[in-house]
Amino acid sequence: MNDETRDETHDGAHDEAHDDGTRVRGLWRQGLEVFVDNRLALVGVGIFVLLAAFSFLGPLFHDSDQVHTDLASVYLSPGTAGHPLGTDGVGYDQLGRLMLGGQTSIVVGLAAGLLATVVGTVWGAIAGFAGGWVDAVMMRVVDAMMSIPALFLFMLMAAIVTPTVPMLIVIIGAFAWLGPARLVRGEALTLRTREYVLAMRGMGGTGGRAVRRHIIPNAIGTVIVNATFQIADAILYVAYLSFLGLGVPPPAANWGGMLSDGLSDTFSGHWWLLYPPGIAIILIVLAFNFIGDGLRDVFEVRLRRR
Amino acid sequence: MARYLLTRLGQALVIVVLVTLITFVILHFLPGGAARAILGKEATLEQIAAFNHEMGYDRPLWEQYALYLQRLVHGDLGYSFQLNQSVAEAISQRLPKTMLLSLASTALAVVVAIPLGVVQAVRRNKWPDYTINALSLLAYATPIFFMGLMMIILFSQVWPVLPPEAPQGFTLGEVLADPAGLVLPTVTLAVLTVAVYSRYVRSSMVDNLNENYVRTARSKGLSEGRVIVGHTLRNGLFPVITLLGMYLPALFSGALVVERLFNYPGMGLLFWQSALKRDYPILLGVTLLISVATVLGALVADILYAAVDPRVRLKASRS
Amino acid sequence: MSLLRLVDLSTDIALRRGAVHALDHVNLEVRQGETLGVVGESGSGKTMTVLSVMGLLPPGGRVVGGQILFDGRDLLAMKPEELRRVRGVEMGMVFQDPLTSLNPTMRIGAQVAEPLRVHQGVGKAEARERAIEILRRVGMPRPEKIVDDYPHQLSGGMRQRVVIAMALIRSPRLLIADEPTTALDVTTQRQILELIDDLREEFKMAVILVTHDLGVIASRADRVAVMYAGRVVETATTEELFRAPRHRYTEALMHALPESAQGKLYSIPGLPPDLSRPLTGCRFAPRCRHATDACRTTDVQLVQAAEEHLYACLHPVTEPVAFAPRGAGEPREAAGSGTILSVRELVKEYDAGGKGRVSAVAGVSFEVKAGETLGIVGESGCGKSTVGRLVAGLEEPTGGQIVLDGTDIAGLDRRARRRMHREVQLMFQDSYAAMNPRMRIDGILTEPLEIQRVGDQAARRARVTRLLDQVGLPARALERYPHEFSGGQLQRIGLARSLALEPRLIVADEPVSALDVSIQAQVLNLMRDLQSELGLSYVFISHDLSVVDYMADRIAVMYLGKLVEIGPASQVVRAARHPYTQALIDAVPSPDPGHAPSPATAIRGELPSALNPPTGCRFRTRCPLAQEICATEPPLQGGPHQVACHFPLRPEAAVSAGAAPAGAG
Ligand code: SF4
Ligand code: SF4
Repeated sequence: MNDETRDETHDGAHDEAHDDGTRVRGLWRQGLEVFVDNRLALVGVGIFVLLAAFSFLGPLFHDSDQVHTDLASVYLSPGTAGHPLGTDGVGYDQLGRLMLGGQTSIVVGLAAGLLATVVGTVWGAIAGFAGGWVDAVMMRVVDAMMSIPALFLFMLMAAIVTPTVPMLIVIIGAFAWLGPARLVRGEALTLRTREYVLAMRGMGGTGGRAVRRHIIPNAIGTVIVNATFQIADAILYVAYLSFLGLGVPPPAANWGGMLSDGLSDTFSGHWWLLYPPGIAIILIVLAFNFIGDGLRDVFEVRLRRR
Repeated sequence: MARYLLTRLGQALVIVVLVTLITFVILHFLPGGAARAILGKEATLEQIAAFNHEMGYDRPLWEQYALYLQRLVHGDLGYSFQLNQSVAEAISQRLPKTMLLSLASTALAVVVAIPLGVVQAVRRNKWPDYTINALSLLAYATPIFFMGLMMIILFSQVWPVLPPEAPQGFTLGEVLADPAGLVLPTVTLAVLTVAVYSRYVRSSMVDNLNENYVRTARSKGLSEGRVIVGHTLRNGLFPVITLLGMYLPALFSGALVVERLFNYPGMGLLFWQSALKRDYPILLGVTLLISVATVLGALVADILYAAVDPRVRLKASRS
Repeated sequence: MSLLRLVDLSTDIALRRGAVHALDHVNLEVRQGETLGVVGESGSGKTMTVLSVMGLLPPGGRVVGGQILFDGRDLLAMKPEELRRVRGVEMGMVFQDPLTSLNPTMRIGAQVAEPLRVHQGVGKAEARERAIEILRRVGMPRPEKIVDDYPHQLSGGMRQRVVIAMALIRSPRLLIADEPTTALDVTTQRQILELIDDLREEFKMAVILVTHDLGVIASRADRVAVMYAGRVVETATTEELFRAPRHRYTEALMHALPESAQGKLYSIPGLPPDLSRPLTGCRFAPRCRHATDACRTTDVQLVQAAEEHLYACLHPVTEPVAFAPRGAGEPREAAGSGTILSVRELVKEYDAGGKGRVSAVAGVSFEVKAGETLGIVGESGCGKSTVGRLVAGLEEPTGGQIVLDGTDIAGLDRRARRRMHREVQLMFQDSYAAMNPRMRIDGILTEPLEIQRVGDQAARRARVTRLLDQVGLPARALERYPHEFSGGQLQRIGLARSLALEPRLIVADEPVSALDVSIQAQVLNLMRDLQSELGLSYVFISHDLSVVDYMADRIAVMYLGKLVEIGPASQVVRAARHPYTQALIDAVPSPDPGHAPSPATAIRGELPSALNPPTGCRFRTRCPLAQEICATEPPLQGGPHQVACHFPLRPEAAVSAGAAPAGAG
């Protein structure tokens, strides 16, 4: 999306190296500068840190019982003593529950997103490097699985095995790897033909060295950027599965599940059961998208010739 | 061109066969085995044995698969004992309604997304671009059922102009007879689609606006509008055709959620109900069918793209 | 009478931070019916000047001062509507890259006739007729058919004709050609330049010819403006400029041309200034060998030398520049003895996906002696780069032998093969693409040593530092990344990397083609110095005959996968025996304005496909001398100067310069 922001002049007037003794900066440092330049990316990091702190550190400051239902205090309004955000239909404290749900959403999102990235990267890399019929077979498998709409597949799996948190991670991870697989394969195919790989072969280098020293370091950026989007998607998938009645069963909670439970309460005016988890989901998905966009800038821009 | 069509067709066929293989494998991993899963927990051992024999589930695996394929080719998707109806019949009642929803929302999304994306590209890095971009990101990050609920609150509670529930007709005609009820489901499904499409249109248009041929067009003294409409738009929009095909899986996933939210009597709702009841024949049948629809849709989109874009058309005809 | 006059034109390009002052008070004049050549290196502002006139500046670009007077009226003061009409009807523009400057999904006819339809409201049928007519005029074969084709069905040269047709259909009074032939092969370049010349007379229009190539200017322009760092530094009639340039930059540019080399090339040190920073004094001062303190502080203005001659230099040239006749440079010292590389009947074919086989290299044989440079020239698609890759062991030949230092490299086992790569190294055209962008220069330079397991850490470190020193870069370059260097510096680093393993042969594939003349000279000189210092052999591959002429001891000419001529450099260039070689030589525009190419050897038509190359002599479809016998393949024959032609232009003995071509056939 940032392809149009090239700032080079038509005549390449800026084709100049700093031979004037400017500081030598490592690639990571240059990358960090670009990332910090992107204000939205910083906002994304900020949101993520806040939400994670809220979910994981919050319970230290706001203690609430999230195991036993308390039918004596259902649908308490926000502001009730001990329940700043009220309680839900079975008496769980809403604020505490948001923290607990956040833990699940973040853990499942991160784990499933990373699992998908790892599986997809390995699969795509093998297909891309092997080429020939191995590649053809492996990619047709990806095509076939991709043609099954993800939610249908998740629901099918969730109907077969009872979803627990680890199971949810495996189910989402097991089918979300297709996108990264395609991406990495494409990347491997193009990187394989880059001139610097050719140059290395001209020095007598082997294929193994090409992969280790040239292809992986150059593909890693794409993979990392994609991983952030995978995490965002995984969090949404958990929400969808919960909405469709196949999320983690109580007393466990996640934002998606709380949000879909809240749906039935909207018309009775219990807004505090609906909006907080909804906004939390939107925020965390946005955060990962911002981070992803920022990282993409980092990996694209820092190697651009000035 | 003919050669391109043939390879593309062959590819699609391979994918469909692979999908049947996947559903077949899942069938065999059903809890308690295929027979118990299909007949239900109350089935007796004799019933199971008889069923296994009838379906050929006691034969070697490859024969089972061959039989499975054979039944599929004849349109036999299995039988739902819970609905007391053949799967094919259950699906054929609901498929047209899902197609209606998908097509209507895709059409709406295309009509809205193209101008948005074009405006973004032409005014890139100015406020219209930023605004639209922010909105589409927001739409993307919002779970679709939450968005749908917001619509319901807005348009049938705060400002009650539309019914909160989809039409409950049995046939396509009955559904169509209640257009007001169709509005919210269609729009909800379209919003997410618009977010994805407009981003794509924008980047495709931006790529094209940076091309040298645009400069050539400007050098003829054409007005900016003419440059965009006469030159960039065609080139920028051709690739969007393939996106229509690629986006189908996500569209159907979205339809599943929307149908559940608005209680729209399509395939998604059927699928959801069956998932809760663990009605496996229906689940597998719908999965298979929706995948085939995806493959076909992508095929049609690719062929269409090849037909309209001379670069692809001529390259394809030469090879 | 002046048709276009630029008065103090200044243009800025906004960057994320600050702006590049691309043009700074440019004054120029184009008269009716004349060709003005604008010459300069990248970043000089030559392209920005014409883009400012046409209103086609890139995003962020803006004219910030001055006037553009067309026919006496200031374009910058016009209403947008009127401006579009003036630009669309009275001016036409031809761009550098014909492959991307046409709309890929619009039929040729529609694109060519579009200005008529828009500005003159011409109907569809008539527009088509006029398109066919103008396509025929620009030398398009079968215009009735091509009018309905799409751009990618045409070759680069043909597309450039289409762009020209598009510019001409409005009968403009001013045609602007921005590097119109840079992306094309020399023989095609010649056709296009001649076409523009003819059309200028026929349409009585003025032409602005923007180019980096002094040769193109010398043979085509009436007057020349030389630009440097956003300013016009000298203007004169072409004849006067080349005879008696006054500005020191113009002089340096001419001395840096391989054609003018008397022994060693003059290379301008350093790089052009950064235009986003404030500059004082003469902008060329940091690189000028005649600069004084006054140059660095005075804002040097254009002054008049003669009626038509302006320059901006405090210490102008006084003596005229002498152009050496081509190939008259002193003969290179005799190369050492012993053959380092021997290529025999080399064949390389590629599968073309069920459509047969592409014959990229077809039976090529040559030898390279130790310490010698063999130049390989030919146009794109002739197979010269494939030969280079085969020799460097990057691709497997389909047939034939490559004998390196006495061993056939085909029979080597893995270990021996790895060792073989120590002996021969490749140098790339685009060193940036050939370096891993995520590795620092020290990593890039040590990589060959690591692969070949040469020395320990400390030894490698020492070797790398020495290499950098040899190519004239400071040691602190080691800690930087490739994107921090300019093109010329990267080419030096590329050369250093090729040298790391102390190879005996370096295959250099178009090593200077992407560089400006002044930078090119730096790299060429460096390559020659290192050769004599280290006793290297080069296989120097290039499309540029004058560069090869400067570098090579012997020259091989390739056409469509075949070697058509090979011999000592001076003989091949001065007494070519093959009609194709002669055509190639004549097509190169000479920076000596007195030099006129002989029309007899101009070749017509397009390069045939390598998928089904012509039988017999592969050049016969375009050869002016072709006879029936040419359908049988001519063998490569002769002594040291061999040729593959049934009717060689000269007998081998004719080595004296300027010998009249023998009318063969
Ligand atoms: S003014 Fe001085 S520095 Fe500039 S070109 Fe002339 S002599 Fe060189
Ligand atoms: S052999 Fe014949 S066709 Fe080939 S170059 Fe010689 S004269 Fe021309």
